[in-house]
Amino acid sequence: MSTQARLERIFREVFNDDSLVLRDSMTSRDIAGWDSLAHINLMFSIESEFNMRFVGNQLAELANIGELKALLAREMSRAE
Amino acid sequence: MSASFNEAAGVASARGDGLREQGDMSGAIDAYLSAAEHLSPVPARLCLNLARAFAKVGDQERAIRWATSVADAEDDYPCWVAAAALVRDVRRGEANERGRRVRVAVVGSFTTTQLTAILPLAALRQGLDLVVWEGDYGQYRQTLLDPASPLYASQPDVIIIAVHEGELALPPFTDKPDDAVAAEIARWTALWDSARRHCPAQVVQFNFATPAEAPLGHLTSRMPGCREAMIQAVNRGLGVAAGNSTDVVDCERLSSLIGKERWLDPKYWHLSKQAISLHALPLVARHLSAVIAARLGLSRKCLVLDLDNTLWGGVIGEDGLSGIRLGGDTAGESFVAFQEYVRRLKDKGVILAVCSKNNEQDAREPFERHPEMRLRLDDFAAFVANWDSKPDNLVRIARDLDIGLDALVFADDNPVECAAVRRALPQVDTIALPSDPSDYVRALSRYLMFETPTLTEEDASRGEMYRARAAAQQLGSAAGSLEDFWESLGMTATIAPFDPMSLPRVLQLIGKTNQFNLTTRRHGAAQVETFMQDSGAVHFSVRLRDRLADHGLVGVMIAVQDGPVLEIDTWLMSCRVIGRTLERTMLAHLCDQALERGITRLRGLYFPTKKNALVKDLYAQMGFEPAGAHEGGGVWEYDLAGRGPIQNSFVRQD
Repeated sequence: MSTQARLERIFREVFNDDSLVLRDSMTSRDIAGWDSLAHINLMFSIESEFNMRFVGNQLAELANIGELKALLAREMSRAE
Repeated sequence: MSASFNEAAGVASARGDGLREQGDMSGAIDAYLSAAEHLSPVPARLCLNLARAFAKVGDQERAIRWATSVADAEDDYPCWVAAAALVRDVRRGEANERGRRVRVAVVGSFTTTQLTAILPLAALRQGLDLVVWEGDYGQYRQTLLDPASPLYASQPDVIIIAVHEGELALPPFTDKPDDAVAAEIARWTALWDSARRHCPAQVVQFNFATPAEAPLGHLTSRMPGCREAMIQAVNRGLGVAAGNSTDVVDCERLSSLIGKERWLDPKYWHLSKQAISLHALPLVARHLSAVIAARLGLSRKCLVLDLDNTLWGGVIGEDGLSGIRLGGDTAGESFVAFQEYVRRLKDKGVILAVCSKNNEQDAREPFERHPEMRLRLDDFAAFVANWDSKPDNLVRIARDLDIGLDALVFADDNPVECAAVRRALPQVDTIALPSDPSDYVRALSRYLMFETPTLTEEDASRGEMYRARAAAQQLGSAAGSLEDFWESLGMTATIAPFDPMSLPRVLQLIGKTNQFNLTTRRHGAAQVETFMQDSGAVHFSVRLRDRLADHGLVGVMIAVQDGPVLEIDTWLMSCRVIGRTLERTMLAHLCDQALERGITRLRGLYFPTKKNALVKDLYAQMGFEPAGAHEGGGVWEYDLAGRGPIQNSFVRQD
């Protein structure tokens, strides 16, 4: 599965929305229900799925979904 | 399961994903179901996919059944969250109960939102239909001590005190560990007593997981006066004090089970005060729910065991008494260990029964003649060995013992028999024993519904004695009422005008505080600096420390002069210090500032948001009078000349 598809599955589960579609330009403000609870659940789900760890609250410092995907790509290439 | 089975399941599951993505839900369901047939237990992700697909086609019953099956699979937190949310959605507006309806209130010292979100899923799997009330973050003491708290208004059947070791007022080291430990036990039992005075709910106390880190290393076990050793002593004392009346969730054991380093993830603690890692939460939810179920009499009563390849290796009817494996070699020792564990369950009150496809004479022979057998015929309340189907025999056993099918747990090494029982008798819990008998004991120990709520009378009376002693001690030391509690905290506030050192934290609080925030005005740095340069404005921050901890800078106040009135522009407090009367101290300081300026009238504004209902009545509680409305909010005024300055004796100032 592509990073996009894996991320999309995580977001759909965390935000309980089967029709959610992720675009690179999206930010936390574009997704309904992105509160502190969802933020923590999202962080944990991404860390579990991609077998990586964010440094501190790095997830909150990313500008948008595109940056998140770039970060995950870097993490995965480092793991190889 | 053989590798080819797993492979087939993987292919079917992936086919299901593809069909679901294309919107072919019934095709996806068929593919997922054929994958599930090959797997025992069905993996969490597959259960969840089935639940979502069934929900999509409107089959609510099966959506809920598959979502609850997530609780039987591996403890995968993301799947739990999604399954719990799905069950909430599907059940929205549903009137009928799906198990025993229980009202549960959770009060805690850490962020309990995640736990309260997934707890109903574990409970539903165990026959409980939970309605959960969650207390405000960190407010467990105030909530339990205050007879008028919304906790008691929620009329709970069960109160869960979900706390962590950071709450223990134990020093790093003391010469008098017994006193420190006794004081802690008195403090906790006083909270139980308070709960009991104010409502009839059952109290469930989390005990304290010692941390992974041990600064004293191996010396810890030789130093009763160090904090880590005292935590263990507190756990022992709380267990004894609990007796038969309070339930304890043994977090010390659960944290060891999952591994101390996985129990708490420091990053998630610092980020959002998760004192139990999300990774560990499903485990905690399952155990907590089992403890609640046991107290309500919903534990399973009877363990029904197969014989061949379950209590011994081989088939007695073919291999004969000398051919079966029991003791002697690796597999044989495993069966002996399993029998010994089953005995321990019997000793604590679990009824045993046999359900075997065998000639009765053959089935009895090992019990009567094999020297390595640990279980005897008279350990069993029912013994059924014949060639009828297992579901038929289970019905017979339940009838003979005069208990419901929902009191039975069936353990068998044969997955086909387990599947047949699950299909025919869904009320019966099944334990499919793993392929290696070495793992039997662990498989049985992971099953939680044999939890026992009470002790023998002797143990119980010892507990009562201990509790009486602790209660006597508490009169001298621990907090009984809310006022005693505030007094016992020994709080000291440090109040100072904003300065360049405090400004970053002040701005952070202004930017993010939601609950205790009267106006929720998100001033930026430039705006705050304007206040700092305005000689007519009053601005100050407050730091709070108490006997247990230094909470740092936790409160912000900005007031501006409007003619003869001092108007509160911004007033907020961090949620970690709510419920400690600090708000009164802040107002008292504002009164002093007003009087110094010759002002005798304060004006407060309350602008409602989604999150600040907590302070809706704050001005009324502080003695302000309503004075109209403004910008969609309420205006309140306080007459300093008439009513005198506000004071607070519970917090000292330095």
